[in-house]
Amino acid sequence: MSPAAKAGHECWSYDDQELFDAYARKCVDAGLAAGERVWFVQGRHSGVTAGSLPGGDAVRVVSFEEAYSGDGVVDPAGQVAAYTAVTEEALAGGYTGLRVVADVTALVRTDEQRDAFARYEYIIGRYMRLAPMRAVCAYDRGELGERAVAELACLHESSHDAGVTFQLHPGVTSAEAMLDGELDMSAEELFGTALERTDLDRAGGDVVVDGAGLRFIDHRALLALEKYAASRRTTAVLRTPTGAVARLAGLLELAHVRVEGAR
Amino acid sequence: MTRTGAAAGYHGYYHEAVCYDSDDDLLAVAVPFLLGGVAAGEPTIVTLGERASALVRAVLPRDTPVMFMSGGAMYARPAGAIRAYRKLLAGHVAAGAPQIRIIGELTTAMFGPAWDSWARYESAINHAYDEFPLWSMCAYDTRTAPPSVMEDVLRTHPRTAQPDGSHVPNETYVEPVMFLSERRAPEPDPLQRAAPRADFAQPTLTDARQAVRDAGDGNLPGDDVEDLVVAVSEAVANAHRHGRAPARMRLWSAPGRVVVAVTDAGPGPKDPFAGLLPTGDGLEGGLGLWIAHQSCDHVAMYRDAGGFTIRLTAGL
Repeated sequence: MSPAAKAGHECWSYDDQELFDAYARKCVDAGLAAGERVWFVQGRHSGVTAGSLPGGDAVRVVSFEEAYSGDGVVDPAGQVAAYTAVTEEALAGGYTGLRVVADVTALVRTDEQRDAFARYEYIIGRYMRLAPMRAVCAYDRGELGERAVAELACLHESSHDAGVTFQLHPGVTSAEAMLDGELDMSAEELFGTALERTDLDRAGGDVVVDGAGLRFIDHRALLALEKYAASRRTTAVLRTPTGAVARLAGLLELAHVRVEGAR
Repeated sequence: MTRTGAAAGYHGYYHEAVCYDSDDDLLAVAVPFLLGGVAAGEPTIVTLGERASALVRAVLPRDTPVMFMSGGAMYARPAGAIRAYRKLLAGHVAAGAPQIRIIGELTTAMFGPAWDSWARYESAINHAYDEFPLWSMCAYDTRTAPPSVMEDVLRTHPRTAQPDGSHVPNETYVEPVMFLSERRAPEPDPLQRAAPRADFAQPTLTDARQAVRDAGDGNLPGDDVEDLVVAVSEAVANAHRHGRAPARMRLWSAPGRVVVAVTDAGPGPKDPFAGLLPTGDGLEGGLGLWIAHQSCDHVAMYRDAGGFTIRLTAGL
């Protein structure tokens, strides 16, 4: 599949640096073809050199220091503001938008880094829904481990080879999240952790979980959603076309989750 | 406030069978039972089938405050019936009822291939309703219930109410823990005589669900397929989580029916009430089998030389 045909906010998990480098080049090409400004933030083992990339001024190989204020603990809101500025600058410069291809392995090595970066991944996804920015976030699975990568991957609109069965990503407001895929015992702990990384709790009223792309959800995941909503003193409205979800929620007598048919 | 009638002084669930072979015999037991409840101000409920309800209604004085409930709604599935009755009973107790009286019956349709699950229901409720001051009578018409059903009735009801007003202990009654632990193999579904349409070793949950969707497509209504997907997913998750490898899933289908058997090499759940009652808060497990039991039309759980099998059927 060509990168341009994929989601705006994509996670790429890799074991093989060369495979990712090859994919990164395709993404750069796709960005150029779409008339975008392209930022390429390399991982430490990347074999891609600035000179080997096409595109002239449209493509920049950017350091961590410039793109993320170094490799410490990211400030989620500050980082969204930074990319907002870069996107607006690209538009002002005549580009159609901003495409970032970033190996961000170095930014999620510790638990504290990963927690902050996961929260950032979620909210930058919303900016990408609203503005002409798209990104591929790459993580070295060999270095980080499967669980750490899964925690980050599931917060993207789509993921590649990350071993996750669901994606929890933002809607256009903080009162809405999108939940795609399948949630069963393999997703049990991950879903609860993912919910904690969203900003749904700042919405102030009921929150909507849009399950139009939800293929299956089991009772444990519904209970995780219930637990999250209860802890935030809110009601999560899960919209799904699958009637079995409403019947299951009825059996569980959930007080903080309401299941509605998808509109 | 104290309990009245045969259950006076009794603590917990006073569970009786009524085995009748004439309408007069049914009425001889039911009418005094109901009128006694009404006289004592106890919630008094009838969940008999249409014919028997009409018989009772015809002989009760007009405006007798007896609640007639549709048995069909209460008795859709065993685990669901337990859930619905427990809610009903808890509501009456919360409202101060010293005793609740119920006379009900299972329909003759339940005496067929699904009877084993209703026999388990009759046994399990000795425990499941025992926290309530309930006196209930389960009516069985011996003209329509087969002998094998009547045998189970006597094994699952501690006593029988007789037309002469006596309440006779059933000699063959066995405690629910023993009855439910038997885990008898069910009658094979006729579909199981043929080779399964799918046979997975160590199925992933995703594959298991997709196989059910494929089998159900065109054979069952969409809602029934999705509910069976829920049931099978829980059964396979249980096999992986609590069972012993290798797990195996086989699936048969025909227009109107899908049968799925999930086997693992382990001994199956230790809790004899597994599936009929929820156990735990769900986060530690225990809800999966209960959900499976309420998401399809029939569940059989049994042990044989191959290990433990849970067989789930949608469409009877």
